[in-house]
Amino acid sequence: MKKTVTYILFIATFTFLLASCSKSTTTVVAPLSATTVKDLPADTIIGITAQGQPYGAGKYTFYSLEKNTIIANSDSATTKWDLAFNGTKILTNGGTSGMGLGGAFVQVGLFDDLKTISTDSVFKTDNAPASYAVTYGSGKGWYTYDPINNLITPLAGRVLVIRTASGKYAKVEVIAYYKGGATLATTATDAEKMSKQRYYTFRYIFQPNGTKVF
Amino acid sequence: MSWITSSAQPYFRKDSLGFYSDTLFVTANKSERQIKNISVPISIINGKNIIQSGNTRLSDVLREQTGITLTSGFGAGVQLQGLNPDYTIILIDGEPLIGRTAGVLDLNRIAVGNIKKIEIVKGPSSSLYGSEAMAGVINIITDKKSNDALNTSIRYGSYKTFDGNISLTKKWNKVKIQSFYNNYSTDGFSVRPNSNNRFITPITRSTFTQNIQYNITNKTSIDGSFRYNKENIKSIIAVANNGTTIYSNGNEANNDLNGTFVINHQFNDKIKTKLNTYFTQHESKQDLLTVSGNPYNDLFQQNFKRVEDQTEWKINKSLNSIVGFGWITEKVNSTRYDNVDSAKNNAIKYFYNQWEWNAGKKLVANIGFRYDDNKNYASALSPKASFLYKWNSQLRFKLSVGRGFKAPDFRQLYLNFTNAAAGSYSVFGAVEAQKVINKLNQLGQIGNLFSNYYQLKKLEPEYATGIHLSAEWEPNQSNEIQVQLFRNDINNLIDVQQVGNYISGSQIYSYLNIKNAYTTGLEIETKQKYNSDWSSSLGYQFLVTGDKDQIAKIKTGIVYTKNTDGTSRLLKLSDYVGLPNTSKHRFQAKLNYENQEGFYANIRAIYRSKWAVANTNGNEVYDNGDQFGKGYITLNFSTGRQFKNGWALQAGIDNINNHIDGMNLPNLAGRTYYMILKYSIQNKK
Repeated sequence: MKKTVTYILFIATFTFLLASCSKSTTTVVAPLSATTVKDLPADTIIGITAQGQPYGAGKYTFYSLEKNTIIANSDSATTKWDLAFNGTKILTNGGTSGMGLGGAFVQVGLFDDLKTISTDSVFKTDNAPASYAVTYGSGKGWYTYDPINNLITPLAGRVLVIRTASGKYAKVEVIAYYKGGATLATTATDAEKMSKQRYYTFRYIFQPNGTKVF
Repeated sequence: MSWITSSAQPYFRKDSLGFYSDTLFVTANKSERQIKNISVPISIINGKNIIQSGNTRLSDVLREQTGITLTSGFGAGVQLQGLNPDYTIILIDGEPLIGRTAGVLDLNRIAVGNIKKIEIVKGPSSSLYGSEAMAGVINIITDKKSNDALNTSIRYGSYKTFDGNISLTKKWNKVKIQSFYNNYSTDGFSVRPNSNNRFITPITRSTFTQNIQYNITNKTSIDGSFRYNKENIKSIIAVANNGTTIYSNGNEANNDLNGTFVINHQFNDKIKTKLNTYFTQHESKQDLLTVSGNPYNDLFQQNFKRVEDQTEWKINKSLNSIVGFGWITEKVNSTRYDNVDSAKNNAIKYFYNQWEWNAGKKLVANIGFRYDDNKNYASALSPKASFLYKWNSQLRFKLSVGRGFKAPDFRQLYLNFTNAAAGSYSVFGAVEAQKVINKLNQLGQIGNLFSNYYQLKKLEPEYATGIHLSAEWEPNQSNEIQVQLFRNDINNLIDVQQVGNYISGSQIYSYLNIKNAYTTGLEIETKQKYNSDWSSSLGYQFLVTGDKDQIAKIKTGIVYTKNTDGTSRLLKLSDYVGLPNTSKHRFQAKLNYENQEGFYANIRAIYRSKWAVANTNGNEVYDNGDQFGKGYITLNFSTGRQFKNGWALQAGIDNINNHIDGMNLPNLAGRTYYMILKYSIQNKK
C-alpha cells in the first residue's frame, strides 16, 4: 500500500515537472473571446401554404465565421462561407453542400468547457439529403421542437464543433431561433411565433491559427 | 308498516368527527373492522360531507382530499401520494372498476348520489387486491339503506348542468331491493378560447344500479348487484395543424356494466366464507367525422370475470386469519390494436392470506401476502406487514411496509393508435412499437427517432415498495391531528414517452420501463370542533418525487440547461423538479357551520402549487426551465337547509375565484352556480 502511494507521488511529481517544462516553452497567446451574432435571418417566413404550412423564399443565409459577416448568395459556390442557415437546417461548406473543407459534429457539453477538440473526434460532412454534419431534426442536433406550443428551443449543452471552409476550427453555440435573441414564451401568439422564427442568435469562437485549441 | 317523513337522514346531523370512532372500515382487511383497530393509514369521506359539499361526481369529491391530486388528461384521474392514476385501484363495494384510457380511470363517470362513504387506504395494498393497488385503494361504499326509503334530488347549475337522482329501497322479511338511478347532462364549457382541443363537449351520463339481498337463513345470505353506466359525449373537435383548423364532429359512447353475485355463509362463530362472482365489461366507442368526410372509428371492449372465495377464521380472541383465492380472466378487443377481431387475453390465478394478531390492548399486527400467477407475465408476490401501537387512549402510531405491483396492461403492450383528429400523433404498445415504426420507416414516414426508441424492449411489471409511518392524536373530543410520513420506491415504472417524430412533426409515443422512481412526503390532517355548530378541517401534503436515473445523471454532470441569456450551463440538482404533474405543496381547508335547525354552510379552499407539464428545453428531465402549470387556489361554497317534512334545499358556487387555466386544467370550469332540491322519506321502523 505504502509503496503504491509513493509510486503515485513519484509519477505525479514527474508529470508535474514535465508539464512545467513544456509550459515554459509555449508562447503565451491572448485568449480568444466569443463573438455573438444576433438575429441572423434564415429563410424567414413569407407566407402560408393552403395546407397551413409556413414557407420562406427557400434561400440559405451564408455566413463566414472567419470574417464574421454574411456572404452574398452569389458566392454560394465559393469557399467564402462557413455555415449556411435555412430554417432549422445548418450546412457546412463541404461534402454535398460546398467546395470547401467544411465539416462538423455536435458535441454534448458546455461551450466554455470545450478548450481543445479531441484528436479522435470525427468530423462529419454534409451528405444531403440523407445526413448532415450538423445533425438535422428535433432532439438530434442542436434543437428540440415542441409541437404542443409550436416552438423551437435550442438544446442545452450542445456545442457545434465546426471545421470551416478553409480547414480551420470554430465552436458555435446556438442561443435562440427567434428574433430578439430569446426563445419566445409558450404563451406568445401564433402570429408572433410565425413572424419571429428563423432568426438565429449564436455565439462562436473561431481559431485563426488552425489549431484545435480555443 | 308506516311511512313517515324523516327529519334525520342516516348521515344528517350525525357527528362526523372521529378518526377513532367506532365506525367500521372494510377496505384495509377486506373484512369489517373498527376504525380504531386498523393498522394501515386510511381516510374516510363520509356521505354527509359529500352531500353537504354539493358535489355530484367522484372526481369533485376526491379533489378536496388530502394527498390526492386530480390529473387532467383522458378525463379526471386520481394521483395518490404522487403516483399516477394507473396505480390506484378504484372499487365500488369492493369490486374493481375497469375501463381505463391511457391508464386513467375517468372519475367523472362515477356518480356519488348514493354513496354512504368512501374509504381510502394509502400505501401498497396488492397483498389483498393484486395488480394496480400500488399507491393505494379507493373503495366507494354505496348506501345500502336498512329500511324502506325513497330519496330524490335534482341539481341544476351553470352550463345547463343537470343532475338527477332517485333511489328506492323496499324491504320485506328476508328480501331487500334497492334501485338507484342517476342522470347527468351538461352543455360543456370552453376554457380554451384559442385551443386546438375540443371546446364544447356536451355530455350525458346515466347510471342505474340494482341490488337484491336475500337472507335465506340467519347464517346464509345472497346478494346480487348490477350496475350500468352509460356516457355520451358529443364534441366538435377543432384541430389546428400548422395554422389550418380542421373541424370534426365526434360522438363518444362509453358503457360500463358490472354485476356481482355473492353468497355469504357463516359456518359457526369462528368461520365465515364469502363466495363472490364478479363480471364487468367496459366498452368505449368513438366516431369522428371530419369535414373532409374522413370517418374515424375507435372501439375498445374490455371484459373482466372473476370468481373469488374468501374465508375468515377467528382462531381465538387475539388471532384471526383471512384466506382467499380466485381466478380472473380478462379479454380485450380494440381497433387500437393490430386487429379488432383478435382478442388479447389474460388469465390470473391468485391466493392471499392475512394474519391479524391483537396482542393485548396495545398492539395490532397484520401480516399477509398475495401471490398472483399471471398467464402473460411473470408471477408476482406481494407481501405486507402493518402494525398499530396504541400509546394511550389519545395517541396511536402506525407503521406499514408493503410491496405492490402492476402488470403491464393490454394497452402498454398492444396499442396501435393514431389520433387522426388531434394532430395525427401515434401511440404504439411496446410489443408493437419497433415492428410498426420499422415498417413506417421503410415507407419513409419517420422524421427522426429519439435515443429511447432504441431502448424499447419487452415490458416488465412495475413494483412499488411503500413505507408509511403515521401518528394519530386526539387530545380531546374536539381536536384530532394525523401526521403521516410516506415513501414509495418504484421499480420498472412504465411510462409513455416520445420515441420519435413523423416527417410531419407529429409525435410518436411508446412505453418504456423507466426504472427507479420515488415519491416521498408528509401529510398532515387536522379536524377541529369549536362548538356545537362550527367546525373546520385542514389538510396539507408535502411531496417530493424523482426519477432516480435522472438524478444520477444530474449528479454525474451530464444534464444541461439554459441560462436566461440563452447560454448553457450544467443542471443543478436544485433545478430538478421530479416527476411531471406532481406538485410540491397541496393544501385544503374547510370551514363548516351546521345548526340544530338543519341549516348548514361550508366554504372549502384547495391549493395546489406549480407542477411540471412539459419538457420544453429538451434535456429529458423536468427542471425549472420547463413548462409549468401555475399554482392555484379554488374556493367552493355550499349552503343548504334540511326541513323536517323531508324536503331539503341547497345552493352553491364552485370555483368562486374563477380560476381558469385552459392549457393545463381543461377539466376545471370557471365559476359555476348550482341549486339542489331534495325530497326523502324513509320508514323509521
